Amino acid sequence: MRKYLLPFLFLFLFVFESIFVQYLPTEMFGSDRITVPRFLIISILFLTVFSSRKYGIIYGIIFGLLFDIVYTGVIGIYLFSFPIFAYLMSKLMRILQTNIVMVSLASLLLIVLLEIGVYEINVVINQTDLSFADFASLRLLPTVVLNSAFIIIASYPLKRHFEKFMASVSD
Amino acid sequence: MPQFFLNKRLIILLVSIIVLVALIGFSLREREKVTWPEQFLKDMTGFVQNALSGPTNYIAGFIENVQDLQNTYSENQELKPRLDKLASLEAEVQRLKKDNAELRDIVGKEDALSQYEPIQATVIGRNPDRYHENLIINRGENDGIQADMAVITANGLIGKVKNAQSFTSTVQLLSSMDPTNRISAAIQAEDNKKVFGLIEGYDKDKKLLMMTKIPYDAEVKEGQNVISSGLGGVFPEGLIIGKVVEVENAEYGLTQTAYLETGADLYDINHVMVAKITSMSAEIQEELQSTLEEEEEEE
Repeated sequence: MRKYLLPFLFLFLFVFESIFVQYLPTEMFGSDRITVPRFLIISILFLTVFSSRKYGIIYGIIFGLLFDIVYTGVIGIYLFSFPIFAYLMSKLMRILQTNIVMVSLASLLLIVLLEIGVYEINVVINQTDLSFADFASLRLLPTVVLNSAFIIIASYPLKRHFEKFMASVSD
Repeated sequence: MPQFFLNKRLIILLVSIIVLVALIGFSLREREKVTWPEQFLKDMTGFVQNALSGPTNYIAGFIENVQDLQNTYSENQELKPRLDKLASLEAEVQRLKKDNAELRDIVGKEDALSQYEPIQATVIGRNPDRYHENLIINRGENDGIQADMAVITANGLIGKVKNAQSFTSTVQLLSSMDPTNRISAAIQAEDNKKVFGLIEGYDKDKKLLMMTKIPYDAEVKEGQNVISSGLGGVFPEGLIIGKVVEVENAEYGLTQTAYLETGADLYDINHVMVAKITSMSAEIQEELQSTLEEEEEEE
């Protein structure tokens, strides 16, 4: 049962990100800061740690490709960054202890790196004219705040779910 | 160093970087239509988005209704005097419509650039990463939507259809950065004069639209309305785009640039209309086609 639930959980997160942005953009409250929900990649990072690297990379490729095609229209950016960050996470966890606090901090660090990476690619392909200082204050900081809130709320349920998923797969 | 090149992971990384560059180049190219696997995936996720956005729409609508109730009294006060004017306005509109039809009959020109058929659609998604300001709507080619059609809300123009699939379409907002996104527009200046220019780009710092190529001697003032001119042949005429906030001389002083505040809110969008032009008679289309071809030959 749990085995088949996993794709739907990720599909839900995938759609939830866009609904979140549509109904709660910070511009509605008169602020010019941009918060980007990164719930999907956070869950993929948790999946990498608490189930296996193989699953993390496969889900990274599938949902990265979906993200590119459905949302951005530029194929490649997320298709490559999602699995690469899943791989980095697994490498990082060999050095660090696998407890929930360390995993949360590591995924927050990777979110920062992902934001910077995606920004740099968009600068190179001339899709944004934001300066780095503006990017750091208007995008990066609010995004980190939003996503750390998500990590605090969702880290424990995600951990439980993925561990049980792993147990059911190995049965 | 044979060992260096035999490192499997390194090879995978290098190959994937090449593929990444190729894929980005492929998708940034100006494409008339997205490939069928992309269309298929977009439509499939469209179903899921549709299913999930239904209930969220309902809840959001309910909250909005409650908020509306709080302002009912003050709104009522404001609307009452306007209501009195409405009756006379309506009568005038009727008269003008009839006039217009009669005059058109006399001139022998039946179609106007301003005629369009609105297709109602609901927004079912928005790009979370916010570099590309894209919306996804729940109507597609099956409902008559095609690429490059104008997308409007009750308050004015918000963007154009970037590409259409069978059941969903992607809308590119005015605020997204795309150098190929140009709209022929007109400022409604004093004495019923029209000043033409191009909507070209979005100033991220000022959060205002930029209208360029305005003649240097045109007198443009703050607060004047800007509408689409219909001269591009893609958008219908007379769609509200926004109001002039600021005018300045462009580089070299040969033209002016106006900054516009959009009439429609580009963030709080739930329901949109796609303007399908109905007036493009075969005659006009042929004329446009021939002028385009002539221009190409000259080049």
